[in-house]
Amino acid sequence: MAAGGAGVGNKTYSFKVVLLGEGCVGKTSLVLRYCENKFNDKHITTLQASFLTKKLNIGGKRVNLAIWDTAGQERFHALGPIYYRDSNGAILVYDITDEDSFQKVKNWVKELRKMLGNEICLCIIIGNKIDLEKERHVSVQDAEGYAESVGAKHYHTSAKLNKGIEELFLDLCKRMIETAQADERAKGNGSSQSGTGRRGVQIVDDEPPNAAAAGGGCCSSG
Amino acid sequence: MSQKSERRGIHVDQSELLCKKGCGYYGNPAWQGFCSKCWREEYQRARQKQIQEDWALAERNKLFHCNSSCSVSVSRVRLQREEEAAYASSQGAQSQPSLAPFSKFEEKKSNEKTRKVTTVKKFFSPSSRTASKKESQETKTPSPSISRQASMETDRVSRDFIDFLKGLQKPGREIHKQCRAFVESMGNKKDLSAEELSECVQDFYQNMADRLLSHFKGSTERVERVMDQVEKYLMTRLYKNVFCPETTDDEKKDLAVQKRIRALHWVTIQMLCVPVNEDIPEVSDNVVKAITDVIEMDSKRVPRDKLACITRCSKHIFNAIKITKSEPASADDFLPTLIYIVLKANPPRLQSNIQYITRFCNPSRLMTGEDGYYFTNLCCAVAFIEKLDAQSLNLSPEDFERYMSGQASPRRQEPEAWPPPAGGSPALAQVYQSLELLSGLGARQERVLEGARRLEGDLIDWRAGVEREVQDILDRHPLDLRLPPASAIDSDNVENDRLPPPLQPQVFAG
Repeated sequence: MAAGGAGVGNKTYSFKVVLLGEGCVGKTSLVLRYCENKFNDKHITTLQASFLTKKLNIGGKRVNLAIWDTAGQERFHALGPIYYRDSNGAILVYDITDEDSFQKVKNWVKELRKMLGNEICLCIIIGNKIDLEKERHVSVQDAEGYAESVGAKHYHTSAKLNKGIEELFLDLCKRMIETAQADERAKGNGSSQSGTGRRGVQIVDDEPPNAAAAGGGCCSSG
Repeated sequence: MSQKSERRGIHVDQSELLCKKGCGYYGNPAWQGFCSKCWREEYQRARQKQIQEDWALAERNKLFHCNSSCSVSVSRVRLQREEEAAYASSQGAQSQPSLAPFSKFEEKKSNEKTRKVTTVKKFFSPSSRTASKKESQETKTPSPSISRQASMETDRVSRDFIDFLKGLQKPGREIHKQCRAFVESMGNKKDLSAEELSECVQDFYQNMADRLLSHFKGSTERVERVMDQVEKYLMTRLYKNVFCPETTDDEKKDLAVQKRIRALHWVTIQMLCVPVNEDIPEVSDNVVKAITDVIEMDSKRVPRDKLACITRCSKHIFNAIKITKSEPASADDFLPTLIYIVLKANPPRLQSNIQYITRFCNPSRLMTGEDGYYFTNLCCAVAFIEKLDAQSLNLSPEDFERYMSGQASPRRQEPEAWPPPAGGSPALAQVYQSLELLSGLGARQERVLEGARRLEGDLIDWRAGVEREVQDILDRHPLDLRLPPASAIDSDNVENDRLPPPLQPQVFAG
């Protein structure tokens, strides 16, 4: 279901990437750092940081990246599927100083797999805020082990220090291109994208409520 | 209807949009402000009377046929009326017992005459689900009724479309031919379900886009441009038939959402954690604009224009957040604010519009673009509102129940009286704003007065100081007048003393 406008000659891929993660883990800082190269800057001119685009050129292939931020508050959890349908990639962010946020990531992964199947979504798991290494509450082994077990890639990033962000998006794009190419091949040089996805809005009923009510209270952006 | 009066400002248009008969469905100006069903009813009644009169006056053969066909539809309408009455009572929709005076219809009759033919046909069209296949087949006329109903707007859009295609020369003609053929073929597909109609339109988009793509040799931008025009042309023409079709329960869902939003009138900014401070005039200005935009969506016909309304609404929301927080808004800020805006606006025919956009918008725009993102957020907002419960507002279930049933209002418990209540009407907010401005002006005037008084004091002090100083100087240097010699004319004469003394006036005795 690649939304990529796979033309004939020089290809331009259009990818939709959703950002998932609890409030306060730094999703917004991450994209702002990536798209604007700014962090907590008073001079940020963008009006919003919830929908950002970036044009890339990876090995001669042009990529239009659309990054969709999602509301991370617990009460909006059930709305997830509306956001991530038809997305090519998912970035799951947690805060290394917050064990809860890592649990949330696990929930997201389960849900993504259930809703989108295995091939469609490439999950990249991000441990953000490595500048706060001293207050680390999620162990590196745990996180990386888990990522591997679900077929995702794990990255350590810091939006503050601008570490690891460029790499993670580059890798994500490469993987999405691979998937798109595999799709094309599977379709048999498919120039006809029959069955283009367009579904009515549907909401999945809430998962049985996880007892983790201790989630971080306030919800201003990270 | 306490909530109605509280939310007056915005909801005046809303209630005007409703059917004049008060059945709770939306009215339509084309039907004199009635909903489809009530309009049919009223129209039937007026017609029936007219027919009887006409009959009595002159027994025209033409009317014979007309009347016989009418009697069938009348019975069906009566059935529908009963169904509807049952539905309305179960919904508990507010009843406005105002039936438009009958004389009004007499006036309109003459206008109606011209439309009679098509309308009678419409009664038999498959929109009424009970109509048998055979009947609906009969109504299909070789010339599609769409072209006859063409309004000014459709004409204009068609002209624009042709002008646009002229720039493309040969393929332009081809595109035009295809689009026309498609519109006509859609005119014959009225009995399909909404999903099937959507499928048809989307297939057409897809085919058209594929062909354009090979023609333009892969330049997606040019394809997009043409596709936008194609969408505009098609959907302007198809709008009447495919927006909120009777084969779906869109209208019912609209009502449900509308009722739900009304019932949630008590939700405040604080409960939703909306990062917007409406006390700042600029912010509340943006909020009002956002509300206007999301309401305006209903008035557009082309899916893309509807999307543009949502995007404009979103931009205003971002502005409001940016002014309040002075940092770019994230989704964590945006979604709650959008929910709040939707709750305040209660946009007309919300579900119908969402469904219409989902079904008939060009998918490339809906799936990836910025417009698509905002649309998705709107869908999220509606989904959230539909499912909203005590937990999602951080309330206890008891409180939530009490607020929902209208037994209590959270606002009354808040001591703050001066700042405008969250659900206040814009006019009221304006008044508050003006009051605030006035009080600000008062304070400033006070300051000016104080300054003046200080200046006055300063002046007095200064005067006293100067006087004192002068006195000092006077005291230190007492006046020591050395009178100059009486004659000053020759004072610079060096040899003055050698001169003989001036003549003294002499007094002569006597």
